[in-house]
Amino acid sequence: MVTVDRVGGTALVLLALGVAWEAQKLPVGTPHNPGPGFLPLLLAIALGVFGTVVVAFGGNSEPLSSLGWGEGRHAIAILGACAFAAMALERFGYRLTILLILVVLFGVVERKRPLPVAVLSLALSLGSFYLFYNLLRVQLPRGPFGF
Amino acid sequence: MMPRLLTALLVLLLVLPLGVGAQESFPTHPLSLVVPFPPGGVADLTARPLAPVMEKILKQPVVVVNKTGAAGAVGMSFVANAKPDGYTILLALSSISIIPEADKLFDRKPAYTLDQLTPIALISADPTVLVVQADRPWKSVKEFVDDAKKRPGEISFSSSGVYGTLHMAMEIFAHPAGIRLKHVPYAGGGPALTAILGGHVDALASGPAVVLPHIKAGKLRPLAGWGTNRIEALPGVATFKELGYENVEFYIWAGVFAPSGTPANVLRTLRDAVRQSVRDPEFKAAMAKIETPIAYMDAPDFQKFYDKDAKMLADAVKRVGKIAEKK
Amino acid sequence: MLETLQNLSLGFSVALSPPVLLYAVVGCIIGTLVGVLPGVGPLAGISLLLPATFGLNATTAIVLLAGIYYGAMYGGSTTSILMRIPGEAASVMTCIDGYAMTRKGRAGAALAIAAIGSYIAGTVSVVGLMFLAPPLASFALRFGPPEMFALMLLGLLVLAYMSGGSMAKSLAMAALGLLFGMIGIDPMTGFFRFHYGLVELGDGIGVVPVAVGLFGLSEILLTAGQATPPEVLKPKLRELLPSRQEWRDSVWPIGRGTVLGFLIGIIPGSAHIISSFVSYAVERRLSRHPERFGQGAVEGVAGPESANNSATSGAFVPMLALGVPSGPIPAVMMAAMMIHGISPGPLLITQQPELFWGFIASMYVGNVVLLILNLPMVGVFVNLLRIPYPILYPAILVFCVLGVYAVNGSVVDVWLMAVMGALGYLLRKFDFETAPVVLGLVLAPMLEMSFRQSLAMSSGNYAIFVNRPIAATMLLVGLGLLLLSLRPILTRGMDWRRRLGHEANPGLEEGNP
Repeated sequence: MVTVDRVGGTALVLLALGVAWEAQKLPVGTPHNPGPGFLPLLLAIALGVFGTVVVAFGGNSEPLSSLGWGEGRHAIAILGACAFAAMALERFGYRLTILLILVVLFGVVERKRPLPVAVLSLALSLGSFYLFYNLLRVQLPRGPFGF
Repeated sequence: MMPRLLTALLVLLLVLPLGVGAQESFPTHPLSLVVPFPPGGVADLTARPLAPVMEKILKQPVVVVNKTGAAGAVGMSFVANAKPDGYTILLALSSISIIPEADKLFDRKPAYTLDQLTPIALISADPTVLVVQADRPWKSVKEFVDDAKKRPGEISFSSSGVYGTLHMAMEIFAHPAGIRLKHVPYAGGGPALTAILGGHVDALASGPAVVLPHIKAGKLRPLAGWGTNRIEALPGVATFKELGYENVEFYIWAGVFAPSGTPANVLRTLRDAVRQSVRDPEFKAAMAKIETPIAYMDAPDFQKFYDKDAKMLADAVKRVGKIAEKK
Repeated sequence: MLETLQNLSLGFSVALSPPVLLYAVVGCIIGTLVGVLPGVGPLAGISLLLPATFGLNATTAIVLLAGIYYGAMYGGSTTSILMRIPGEAASVMTCIDGYAMTRKGRAGAALAIAAIGSYIAGTVSVVGLMFLAPPLASFALRFGPPEMFALMLLGLLVLAYMSGGSMAKSLAMAALGLLFGMIGIDPMTGFFRFHYGLVELGDGIGVVPVAVGLFGLSEILLTAGQATPPEVLKPKLRELLPSRQEWRDSVWPIGRGTVLGFLIGIIPGSAHIISSFVSYAVERRLSRHPERFGQGAVEGVAGPESANNSATSGAFVPMLALGVPSGPIPAVMMAAMMIHGISPGPLLITQQPELFWGFIASMYVGNVVLLILNLPMVGVFVNLLRIPYPILYPAILVFCVLGVYAVNGSVVDVWLMAVMGALGYLLRKFDFETAPVVLGLVLAPMLEMSFRQSLAMSSGNYAIFVNRPIAATMLLVGLGLLLLSLRPILTRGMDWRRRLGHEANPGLEEGNP
């Protein structure tokens, strides 16, 4: 039976194998003189062991199909917004990036009416910038034309 | 009189009609002085008083930006790769020469190379000082070296990190002295100092400012200094040179750099600005407060100093080699 | 004793003088603002505002910075409780039960208990600082690498008490967190590990993007798309204050958290972050109803928040008594002092009594100011929750991005937050806990470094861990705790066998008298 724990545990075991492989590329050293790869290798083994235990006892957990992914589409949109923020923050500057993200989230994802969307987005992006850049002197990136 | 004349000339330059050719007068908008270390460290403490003084001279805001990470590599590579228009300059410490060497040692693509940066001026040069725990028996370098020869690899010292400035300083002394010491790296100068104060290691090479209060309180004993001249605050402490170690010289210096390819007139403006800044009484007072003597060198002299220093550090790094492979 | 009181009155005369008092208040306000911002914790706050102090005299500057520090600690709990977004790494534990209390409509109570617990802890620990600074500081200096290693190991064992669910899952998460902590330059040899060409990863993954992503962002990802949006809670005024039962339940956790946090805080290094983790585990272990933890147990807020605040005072002990930079925050404070011409050192107390006692007195004052600031704000903050979630979460997201970016000025951190958010979403979907990951990430550098430093000091001999009294004691305590924690597994194992025996022979059971 494909249960939640079995899938989770297997994922961990696979990750552990990958990390162990990477770790042994570094000098591992000996227990008396551990190298940079020593502890990562040890931890990867530990992760693998724990993952295996999770899989072994995993029969008792919920079946995989019982997991609902209803909020998934929203989640992907939000993650997309974060990724966009990371890409655009230093290229377009803080205010423009945040403005765009808010317009997309309020307007497209949450489908609010255009006027409140515009007002809120402008207020939040400009307001937060003013509070932190001008008042608190936090370095926030400015985009083209210094905006 | 001179500074005022220069300032007047600068102002004139800035006021000249901008339509004259593509060469606008530098600077026309704020500059970033990048400090590749976290706030509160030596580099940061040197940059903070420098920025407002340069601002006065250049008539444009000079903003200190901390870009930390990877022992300075992040900030240094940021400036090395920045647009060479003079608006992004770097305040670096002597570790700037070590990082590309360390990268080479590990067959890594270097975060930056030394020829990507051109020196503008040297601001300060703190000679390092060798201190030992007060309750250890050695009262002079000779006693220290003799004991180290009798028990190779047993006398321990802390450092701010492997291949860091404090590690290299010790290495530069240990090699001609023919001794092998036990190196216990820590994550920064602060923890290294805490370690020796707690008696967990025997010795430390450190910048003088942070250890002075502890020397005065009798917790640490200074043995020798890595400078050409004796340290002002420690007149009784000999230099390694005086003790016969001719090539043992090491300074934790701070200097201003710009990306290579910056136009010559921009470089000149920057050099002039720094030259005037170090003479400014406000700056002098600030540096005196953090007990760091100003040691100004303009670009040509600095270039020579920097090249020699870089070569010495490169040799030391190669000598130390890849630690993990040795044992 | 009398001398101390005299000095204290000197200190108060300094701290309560209008300009100094003003700066203390300003510092507290700025600190709260900074702390409320997700991820931006006291270190970032102090570093950002250090330049602003250059024009002030030494005492005022230090008082301002200390106010920011405290304010940030207070402010950090606000977002943790209201939105499950850790204000800084140390507030991660408050997120768990604090947010659960919010969902049950007890947000006001949680905020109030956090504020009051922080106040009590802050004040008591300042008293401790005053009287115990010099002897404690010398003790703290004796913490070398082997002792640090033992402490870190103890911190890991704390996990066994922290988790409610499957032990294997929590341990796996801890291992994952520890592995995350191995990314970056190996400080002992200079090798880059797992960085894949990104220079910014050289220092490893920051705690802030991971904590904000794993806790805050994952919460948004899980909740935003829900078919029925979370209920808009409309708390009445009466519900803002903690009930008598909640008060009673909080007394001992606050007391224990204060002592625990202070002791952990004086240890040099960044150990004070784990004070809230340890306090949570201790409260859980000592509670008669451990299953309440994670569902909104007020002890899970009172203990960690108190531990947090007293750890901040503890962190100043080595700095003030010995001039030793015992962590990044005291180091910045020391730098601030140096800029103003004061060299912190063992003689600071005698040479600069005004500064020292003024600083201490201003810490008292700061705590009072923050309590006065924060309690009424509880009502204001809780009203924020009335905003419908679909409008609230984009705003929260903006502040998360802002906070995470502001710490280092690096977009790599924002990417990290996004990745960790996705990871946290998946982990919680698959019923794994995220707190051990953060704990592992925090512990890993110190654990590995102290382990290898110890071996360097002893030239490979493991006996160093037993030869030194403090380290050996802590390891023994750890071993004892480990065995204690395994006991339930063994007894449960026996239950299982007994149960199996019953099922195989049901008839026998009835027959037995």
